[in-house]
Amino acid sequence: MYRAQTLALKYFAAAITFFGVMAITGLLSSYYYINPDFLFGILPFNIMKILHINTLVIWLLMGFMGSIYWFLPGELGRETVGIRAAEVLFYVFCAAVAVVAVVFIFVQYGGSNEAVLWLINQGRKYVEAPRWAALGIVVVMVVFAYNVIGTAIAARKTTGIITVLMIDLIPLILLYLIAFPAISNMSADLFWWWWLVHLWVEATWEVLIGCIMALALMQLLGTPRRIVEAWLYIEVALVLGTGILGLGHHYFWIGTPGYWLAIGGFFSALEPLPLLGMVVHAVYDAGAQHMKTTNRPALHWMMAEAFGNFIGAGVWGFMITLPQVNLYAHGTQWTVSHGHFAFWGAYACGIISVLYLVLQRTRNLAVVQGQLWKWSFAALNLGLVGMTGALLVSGFVQAFVERAIGGSTLEAFISGQENAWFVDGMVARFLLAIVFTAGYVVLVWDLVTLGRRAPAIAAVSPAQ
Amino acid sequence: MSPLASLETGLFLGLYALLAGIWGVLWALAQLRLMPIVAGSAVAACVLHVLAAVTIVLWTPLGFGWKCLIVGSSLAFLVIPPITWRLLRRTHDNERSEHDRQPSQHSRRLVVRL
Repeated sequence: MYRAQTLALKYFAAAITFFGVMAITGLLSSYYYINPDFLFGILPFNIMKILHINTLVIWLLMGFMGSIYWFLPGELGRETVGIRAAEVLFYVFCAAVAVVAVVFIFVQYGGSNEAVLWLINQGRKYVEAPRWAALGIVVVMVVFAYNVIGTAIAARKTTGIITVLMIDLIPLILLYLIAFPAISNMSADLFWWWWLVHLWVEATWEVLIGCIMALALMQLLGTPRRIVEAWLYIEVALVLGTGILGLGHHYFWIGTPGYWLAIGGFFSALEPLPLLGMVVHAVYDAGAQHMKTTNRPALHWMMAEAFGNFIGAGVWGFMITLPQVNLYAHGTQWTVSHGHFAFWGAYACGIISVLYLVLQRTRNLAVVQGQLWKWSFAALNLGLVGMTGALLVSGFVQAFVERAIGGSTLEAFISGQENAWFVDGMVARFLLAIVFTAGYVVLVWDLVTLGRRAPAIAAVSPAQ
Repeated sequence: MSPLASLETGLFLGLYALLAGIWGVLWALAQLRLMPIVAGSAVAACVLHVLAAVTIVLWTPLGFGWKCLIVGSSLAFLVIPPITWRLLRRTHDNERSEHDRQPSQHSRRLVVRL
């Protein structure tokens, strides 16, 4: 096994750990809606929410990096350049995340001065990590890009997938630089902040997961490279074509010019189109193999990725993307519902699929089998879909009672929060979050014990 | 747009996109499994999608431009599954025949020398 693949296993272990932190902080966050006095004076809701969202970003990022470190040596036929630096930075990355989490939990906030930005919290939603940690993430990403690009140069070859990946890494790093706040005008600040949030999630990350899924498909189903690459180009072009200017749907109500209503609405409405193509592609691939594979968990999670992406990002997003509806729906639990479903479908399912694929190799399993993965698959997806449904109900109430009827006054806000449908929705979300967390526990147990509890199975060739 | 109309419009838009997805999946499944019930379900999903589009155009207070977008999207949704399928089959068939013909050159195409 290459050193990069050993590093990949560490990244996967860290990713699945932070996935757990995300699930638990999400579960606790949901409980605040039922019992607002929960942890009163100890840990406020906003800190719990920060931990939930930031660990989401971190675990997915680590999952992406682990996947690339895993596939890269096999793809280019050599050890990764600069692997020593990458190995050191892995521990720095994990330690930094742990320190930031401790600061968030125990320090929580500070005064309005520069030192707080550097040491406690940058104060920007989703990228709250203090400046020193944000700088650390930049260093990690630069070394990661160096690993990929340097290896391709040293190998004196590249493939279509690696070329797309290399091109993608440049905006991935550059966009993160927006995480450092420098603009005091709120509209201007939000304008650029959305470049980071939207273009990471709906552009660079989409390309990244596209590359990872392409590599995984070749290994899982033996799909010929030329086909995988051809479809990667088509799907990346379509996703970028609709996703980049789809950025405009975040510009509706932040003080930007009115033409963003038309641009954002139009391009966002086109976003489900390529996702439908991906779903058809998934059905084709599964059908071509008659759902026969040596790794059923990986195939099922990959299918869940295609379907979840279409439903979570496409359908849920389409409900609220036109300005007329978005006027009332933005910032409500309706949006939260969309966010949960889209992240799960577009990214989380894909990473879990790769985890099973990698474990099949590292544990020399000819066939991945058992019942546990079915339970975790069912509980995680049922919990997630149930949560998004419950959030949708609560979001309807907010959009209707608080926004459309009440006109977004404080009185209307309280009226919406006290509405029986809203309350019931939040209770249902909490209960289904428990199901989701239980699914996570089963998933971890399955991943840890995979191949160790099943009867011995003939070995396959070592990792490529 | 009235409060109720905004909620209804959102729901119809979601239903519209969901039915497009169901149509796509069922259509693709109908190509794999030559069962009349699957093909019939695909047609039913397609009809329901068109009905959702018509409802949005006729009953929601969206502006003319947005309604045109809905109609255009519907046309795209309807043709994406057959086009995607055809492209997939063609690519797979080409790959298979070329692979059979020139196995030794197969890998050479895959990498581009820097």
